[in-house]
Amino acid sequence: MRIAKACDAMGITPVFAASEADLGAAYLKDREVVCVGPARSTQSYLDLAKMVQAARQSRCTAVHPGWGFLAENPQFAALCEQHGLSFIGPPAHVMHLMGKKTPAKKAMGAAGLTLIPGSDGILEGADDARRVADETGYPVLLKAESGGGGRGMRIARSADEVASAYADAQAEARAAFGDPRVYMEKLIEGGRHVEIQVMADRYGNVVHLGERDCTVQRNHQKLIEESPSPVLDDAVRQASLDAAAKATAAIGYVGAGTMEFLLDQDGVLRFMEMNTRLQVEHCVSEVRAGKDLVEQQILVAAGHQLAWRQADIELAGHAIECRINAEDPSDGFRPSPGKIEKWVSPTGEGVRVDTHVQSGYVVPPHYDSLLCKVITHGDTRDQACDRMIAALGDLVCEGVMTTAAMHRQILASADFRSNNYDTRAIPGWSQE
Amino acid sequence: MVHVPLTPIGRARASFCDDNTFESNLSSLAAREEQLRMRRAEVHAGWGEKYAGRVHAKGKMTARERLESIKDPGSRSFEVGTFVNYGLKFGDKGLQSPGAGVVTAFAQVHGRWCMVIANDNTVASGSWWPMTPEKIQRAQQMALRMRLPTIYLVDCSGLFLPEQSRSFPGAKGAGHIFKMNSLLSAAGVPQLAGVFGDCIAGGGYMPIISDRVYMTEQAYMVIAGAALIKGAKSQKMTSLGIGGPEVHVHQSRCADVRVPDDATLLSCLRDEVARLPSSGADYYRGDAGPVDPGFPAAELSGLMPSDHREAYDVTEVLARLCDQSLFWEVMAGSGEEMICGVGRVNGLYTGFIANRQGLVGNPDDPGAKRPASILYKAGIAKISAFSRACNADGIPIVWLQDIAGFDIGAEAERQGLLSYGSNLIYTNSTNETPMFTVLLRKASGAGYYAMAGMPYDPVVQLSTTLSRQSVMEGRTLAIATYNTKLDDDFEIVTQDPEERAAIEKGMASVEKRIEADMDPFVAARQMDTDEIVEFGELRSYISMLVEASYQSTGYRRIKNPRIWSLHDLAVLTEGLR
Repeated sequence: MRIAKACDAMGITPVFAASEADLGAAYLKDREVVCVGPARSTQSYLDLAKMVQAARQSRCTAVHPGWGFLAENPQFAALCEQHGLSFIGPPAHVMHLMGKKTPAKKAMGAAGLTLIPGSDGILEGADDARRVADETGYPVLLKAESGGGGRGMRIARSADEVASAYADAQAEARAAFGDPRVYMEKLIEGGRHVEIQVMADRYGNVVHLGERDCTVQRNHQKLIEESPSPVLDDAVRQASLDAAAKATAAIGYVGAGTMEFLLDQDGVLRFMEMNTRLQVEHCVSEVRAGKDLVEQQILVAAGHQLAWRQADIELAGHAIECRINAEDPSDGFRPSPGKIEKWVSPTGEGVRVDTHVQSGYVVPPHYDSLLCKVITHGDTRDQACDRMIAALGDLVCEGVMTTAAMHRQILASADFRSNNYDTRAIPGWSQE
Repeated sequence: MVHVPLTPIGRARASFCDDNTFESNLSSLAAREEQLRMRRAEVHAGWGEKYAGRVHAKGKMTARERLESIKDPGSRSFEVGTFVNYGLKFGDKGLQSPGAGVVTAFAQVHGRWCMVIANDNTVASGSWWPMTPEKIQRAQQMALRMRLPTIYLVDCSGLFLPEQSRSFPGAKGAGHIFKMNSLLSAAGVPQLAGVFGDCIAGGGYMPIISDRVYMTEQAYMVIAGAALIKGAKSQKMTSLGIGGPEVHVHQSRCADVRVPDDATLLSCLRDEVARLPSSGADYYRGDAGPVDPGFPAAELSGLMPSDHREAYDVTEVLARLCDQSLFWEVMAGSGEEMICGVGRVNGLYTGFIANRQGLVGNPDDPGAKRPASILYKAGIAKISAFSRACNADGIPIVWLQDIAGFDIGAEAERQGLLSYGSNLIYTNSTNETPMFTVLLRKASGAGYYAMAGMPYDPVVQLSTTLSRQSVMEGRTLAIATYNTKLDDDFEIVTQDPEERAAIEKGMASVEKRIEADMDPFVAARQMDTDEIVEFGELRSYISMLVEASYQSTGYRRIKNPRIWSLHDLAVLTEGLR
């Protein structure tokens, strides 16, 4: 919907790819839609060949991958380009580079970003692991170079655990991926999650749109995002924003992207990874900058120069986004699919709502249950928070459970207002 | 429409190869590849610490240190011919010559792939053994085929004279190196030489045809050294005096530049290469940057059964060699036993021809199955046509062999497989596009020839630790040898226990001997293959070769995909796309 809105504004006809589960949804009414398969995403939204076929048969010229499913799949990007479809995102090889662990770190380190301390690439053996761990300081995390899904990952909390953790990580990596290469990073527990929004064109022009603080999380799922980060030192902020833009240019990045950082207890911002796509929370930056990222993405993919220079980006006030899901927070965030009998989006000064939902919409049980994103903007953090609390109070959703009340509780809490939290616990809210 | 319709191939490993099979393949290969690594290290050590120490004591670098310092920092060099002469002993003292006393390697200098030929000064002062000339010429041939700048790092005391009769007089004798120097020059291939020490006789000739010749202050080039000059001792003549930089840089002009030491010389050679045109590879990649396969190439070592009789899916091999596991299979509808098509390797279009394993359908007998690793009529016609089309379009070809041979029998002869095979052989023999051959496992009989094995002059042929080159398997030869003693099912006819035992013993001995000869290290020792590589290295070797074949522009046809003849072939065989 977000992307279709931008298309509408630009006079571009969007074609929607929809699975059988989404086919009847009201937001597709009067839209051009291609059914790409059954509800199971592996047979529809994740099937590269089907998606490309759908785009080609409907004579599309470009594909916007959104922010889920195939958005960070370099094979899909390569496949689109191979079949004459402009992929709205970075080139496959850049996406691929950022997906590779140690090469991505090396590229970012070379471009001037501060890294999480650890090994300089692949460890040469158990002795090397011990030496690096001693230099880095405990606890350390051993990670498989070809890893994913937590496989080939081990923690060593002291020197006598390194050898066995190294051997275990290596054995698991070899068994799972045929590739026993392992590297090491310091395990930083807690800390805050800060990310920087960048936007680049094909011609080497890059701007940043400030940072976002996404520390309020549940099991690595972001709940609340805000900008600017309330705890980031101004000097660190400026240096990091500049370095992120420089690094983006250095790797030949194109389109919208996000550099994710860990802000440790000492206030150092350390690069973790780059998300090579537009993220759900991009709206926070849009609101502060007063710019439309999706529109710019489309223009850049069509070969246009970036319409903005850094001096054109003026970041004003404070913005907060809450993701409202069809979940029951009091019951372990159990998904709550079903029919929404009545839906009313909040409105008001400094309030933006991005949603595909309207009264009568049925939340399918198959996918992520995001209902809407509410973004509020204010002169100060407190004003933005207050506006959010009011807006969420005005939100009407009858028929399914939502996380709106939990968000209000968090925003109103003293812990949240005084920045007394990190990624390990949700401020002002507990499951009990 | 003329787009190149690459589509995703391959599956996640766990979906077709369970952890136990994967682990068992891995561990069975691990022992062989560990042996490969140890033997490489053994060759790399030359004659050992003592001799490296002598080189260092003279303030010089060893051949491999020179290679290390001339290549781009952080890049990898790719040696060929590592195991030439491996394990062989020469002269009265039974001396070994690791790597035949010379290092030949593809190395990147300022982003350009070069062929580096460096006399190994830790092995008998870089002298030439039997096969050393052949190894150098083979490297020169690779450079000539792909027009790669060739760099000679010369430090050679001449022929190893006790074995001179085996390296001096023949068609590929030492002198043929200088003919190759000439042919490279005639073809416009840049040649650069650095002279680092004794360069006597042949060692003296090797650098001279190069475009630029550098000498260190320790280097001399002479037709004959002081030792052979009458009266040299009383006149206190030294080789350095008669052929050092003083003479050759200033008086004879046989060399261009003198420099104080090895490090300076190597850095000067790097600067020379930087003045050459940059690689065309980036141009031919277009917008497609270098990207790894979607399924990790490292998995190959767990997918390949070490027993050559066990099947695997060669599509999964291709999926782990092509960028992002995207591939366009051409003529999929016929010759099911063969698979051919186009993928990108490091962003560059590459043709692949491979044969399947296991069983495939039999078009003459619908519903029946027959073994896949055999060349049948349609498969031969298919790969022949594909090979010709790649040549016409300038697409480099990678052949992946695991082939048992041609179909045999009355029907095969009636179908004229001899002539279809000859057609394929003619095609491959006259192709000018660079071809690279990989012997995944079996390379048997005429199948090895038909799929561009070494005698058909691929630019480079790679073996794995599982490769086995032979006319026939040991078991088959044992049957052929004892044919008169066997029945229709190849069982021994006689019931006499003594005679049976003798036949069994004889057959076992034939089988054992053939098995031993099929060892890839034997093949590499006698230059029947260029290099033995780990499965995990295969993709990087192929990437390097493909990049090298797109490096030099202007000497060969490289068509853009819009005008590929391959599209015609696809339309004619598959209908309109």
